Amino acid sequence: MTKKYAVLPCNGLDKCAGQMAREIALTVCEKTDSQLICPVFYRVADARYNKIANENPLLVIDGCATRCASKLAAEKNLKIYRKMTVTDETQKHGVTLAIEPLRLWEDEINLCAALAAELIKEEDVAESMAAAVIYPVPGDYLIHTKDKFMFRIPPEGFYFTENDCWVQPVGNRARIGVADYVQQSLSDIMFFTPPPVGVEVEQFGEAGAIESGKAVFELVCPVSGKIVAINKELLNSPEKINENPYEQGWIAELELTNFDEEKDFLLDADGYLQVLKRKVDEFHVNQRKG
Amino acid sequence: MSINEKVKVIPCSGMGKVFGLMAREAALRTVGQLCPDKAETMCLAYVVTGDAEAEAGIDGKPCITIDGCPKMCSAKSVAIIGGDIKEEFKVLDIMKEHKGAQPGTATELTTDGWTIVDKIAATLHERVQQIHGEGR
Repeated sequence: MTKKYAVLPCNGLDKCAGQMAREIALTVCEKTDSQLICPVFYRVADARYNKIANENPLLVIDGCATRCASKLAAEKNLKIYRKMTVTDETQKHGVTLAIEPLRLWEDEINLCAALAAELIKEEDVAESMAAAVIYPVPGDYLIHTKDKFMFRIPPEGFYFTENDCWVQPVGNRARIGVADYVQQSLSDIMFFTPPPVGVEVEQFGEAGAIESGKAVFELVCPVSGKIVAINKELLNSPEKINENPYEQGWIAELELTNFDEEKDFLLDADGYLQVLKRKVDEFHVNQRKG
Repeated sequence: MSINEKVKVIPCSGMGKVFGLMAREAALRTVGQLCPDKAETMCLAYVVTGDAEAEAGIDGKPCITIDGCPKMCSAKSVAIIGGDIKEEFKVLDIMKEHKGAQPGTATELTTDGWTIVDKIAATLHERVQQIHGEGR
């Protein structure tokens, strides 16, 4: 399958990570039908790029934590389909970036090629690995209210972590996501960074992230397994997590590897309700003190 | 300017067009190889997004801008935040002196392209030296 992105990279001039962002963007554009958006030009005169940005899935490639490209996307009110931050990737791959030189060396160029290949290939893997599993929709919810807030917990079929993430196992597959408490705490969710399809995740390892104007929340995976699919709907509509994090707001699907043993480290609905009540009370007390 | 102050060489973003890429490469060659002790560059995205550190680094400071196309993103953006623009280079103007040259694409320069980049970088180098001399 040929991917076609609108690629919005970091401007990438005075830092190695920025140069890499640009290199990745160019490679993706060269190897697919994707179109490049010049971030500076887009900011000062957007007419040239509006059509490209609005009609194609948007790939944002940030160089460093300043995240100029992401901020520009938010400023233009664009939905981000896929996001990558080079400094995060270099840490993950054990590559140390040069502080001064503005040119890329062999290690950096090789990593750029690998990351670009990942961006181009990822969805092919997802298509082939996803299989039809029917996940029961919760019929009703346990409700906990505090002031104007109402928190829902599906009573059956879901297990939780104390970090407010859930898993819904069906056979050797499972969906994972975040609890109502997370989406209410974050408020309007703007970005969704899915876990890479095909990777093995350990129990309590990281499995993607969601981000609002308030904070970034890294999903703590309740179980170990291989990511076989992600919720593509969230790439264009991350607000579905706000609407219902247990149904249309699921994050990813895994092939389970050790659920029977790992279940002992998880909470059922009643157990999680106690944790939730404690957190909400503590938050309430802190708010009053503040 | 003080003797120790570096001249800011700020190219257009250099994405999507060959002349932009040439502006970018000429800036990198100048600040990285020809006169790293007298010139430094800055990411234009910081300038246009109103980054406080970028503004402080440019406001009232000697700058050279290099633009790829007539939109003049670099010159306009640097001027808006008060950069003391000593020279506005336009790759397009320089290309007029090289009629028929094929500089390459938005992602890769040809031998022609690199030759012209070297020429631009040499001009930039010379101008940086002059500006630095004025500060003494």
